Amino acid sequence: MNAIAIQSKKPRLSRELNAVVTIAARDILLAVKSPAGLIMSFVMPIVMMGMLGGSLAQNMTAGLNFNFGQFMLVGMLINMLFMFTMQGLTSLVEDRQTDFTQEMLISPVSRYSIVIGKIFGSSFGGILGMVGTLIIGLVMGITLSPWQLLLILALSPLMCLSAGAFAMLIIGLIKSIKTANMVVMVFAMSQMFLSGAIIPITHSHGILLVLNRLMPMTYCLDLTRAVVYAGTPEYANVVLFNPVINCMAIVGLTILFLIVGTLGFVRSEKDR
Amino acid sequence: MNQTVITVQNLTKRYKNANKNAVDNINFTVNEGEFFAFLGPNGAGKTTTISILTTTLGKTSGEIKIAGFDIESEAKKAREKVGIIFQQPSLDLQLSAEENIRFHACLYGMFTYRPTFRMMPAAYKNRVMELAEIVGLKDAVFKPIKKMSGGMQRKFEIVRSLMHTPSILFLDEPTAGLDALSRRTLWDYINNMRRENGTTVFLTTHYIDECEHVDKVCIINKGKIAINGSPDEMKQSLLKQELVLDAGDRRQLLRELSEMGMSHKVEEHIIVPYQDMTAQEIIARLKTKLSVLKIQEPTLEDAYIEYIKKTGGKAA
Repeated sequence: MNAIAIQSKKPRLSRELNAVVTIAARDILLAVKSPAGLIMSFVMPIVMMGMLGGSLAQNMTAGLNFNFGQFMLVGMLINMLFMFTMQGLTSLVEDRQTDFTQEMLISPVSRYSIVIGKIFGSSFGGILGMVGTLIIGLVMGITLSPWQLLLILALSPLMCLSAGAFAMLIIGLIKSIKTANMVVMVFAMSQMFLSGAIIPITHSHGILLVLNRLMPMTYCLDLTRAVVYAGTPEYANVVLFNPVINCMAIVGLTILFLIVGTLGFVRSEKDR
Repeated sequence: MNQTVITVQNLTKRYKNANKNAVDNINFTVNEGEFFAFLGPNGAGKTTTISILTTTLGKTSGEIKIAGFDIESEAKKAREKVGIIFQQPSLDLQLSAEENIRFHACLYGMFTYRPTFRMMPAAYKNRVMELAEIVGLKDAVFKPIKKMSGGMQRKFEIVRSLMHTPSILFLDEPTAGLDALSRRTLWDYINNMRRENGTTVFLTTHYIDECEHVDKVCIINKGKIAINGSPDEMKQSLLKQELVLDAGDRRQLLRELSEMGMSHKVEEHIIVPYQDMTAQEIIARLKTKLSVLKIQEPTLEDAYIEYIKKTGGKAA
């Protein structure tokens, strides 16, 4: 009998990173094994970018002093990342229903590693959604330069974390997959309209202004646009905040949501 | 003397919206290397206790130490020491058996995650195959879990839990759904593991015969611990040993027993419970020629059923 004990001599950080990779890899494997999920990653951009965005571009963008197509493409890329990551994280509720969370919670890793692993695993669908959006953009004649794409890709892990942390805050206490799917969809759609993914929010005021300032996607989107539009004449018309403010808001909200969401999730598992 | 590896002091658990405690102020200890069985009817509080001990369920009050670590303030250190086979299946049905096992092994930090079985180190591959062979499912390792029968799923659940060699192994109804041969091989493996690694085993089971050879048995009923001791102590405290006798001249035998002051009951044969005298002493004093002579040793199951009957509960 070969006895293999837990390698407790491995540095703690490396063990936690291995746990994050393992948990993320499982979600990626599950996504790859689900053809319906893969198809949705390409159908959603057709609906959002092609139909909704295309109709807006053709009928309601007269008088805008920037290229709406590019504005919309950047918005939809981040929106896809947010929407799919948030939706993917509902699998945590499914894991809870099938008792698989027990298997994760009994393991000697940080609860934050479990949640961060789930977030990165869930964001795989978001990355596919981004690819789908770029293809639809290409079909519609809207493109980004390779450099701009690289910058967006470089920011994407932060965006995924932000989206996942927000989803954790929402689903941390939900125990039914049906409810989780509905609630996450409501928040994901609200974010799309409120944060300026597809409709400019420069002139928002009142309750809509308050709501868009509370949405983490507003800052993620604005930071991405600040990076993409840096040094262009459209910058002032498109970007709302200084990138430093965006970074601070993203990091602050992500940490807050991650802590509160994870605590809520663990608490609801343990305190029955 | 062996060190105490599980200490439970005044443990109480009341579920939300419940009007009574599921576990009510229980105390017990388990020593290093000990085989400890937790018995009780359905709803007695066995799974609640095991869930609290493995940190997946919060307690209402009390103190628990696992391998010297407090399960509240040092939960992660405590979790490093334990392994569990859950009562409820907890495999990912969408993955193959091997993918489930790989997930577990890497999550426990035994190996660095690699995306395929072929890319995993030889030590991992050998161990998966060794354990799969023990449960007789070497050929099904790469099959999707959802295409397996309940029994096969259970076996892979066991393989997964035994991947890392925990110093304390919690087994919550581990053999439920297993055929007799698989039960036997599993127990052989666990006993072997205990011998080689000094693993402490904490068992809850419906098969009382599985507790015959444990070091300590604890009966829990209605959230409270009723009896705690070795199987022999439990049998002695709950049941008297009995002699089964009969003779061609039954009347003479009954007279002799009465003269000796031995209580007895007449059923198919004459049943003579004894406690203060040995069986040999009783037989030596009998002059009647016996046609039936049997010494009835109570089993743990007899003792358990007797206890449950006495307390008005239903056996598991």
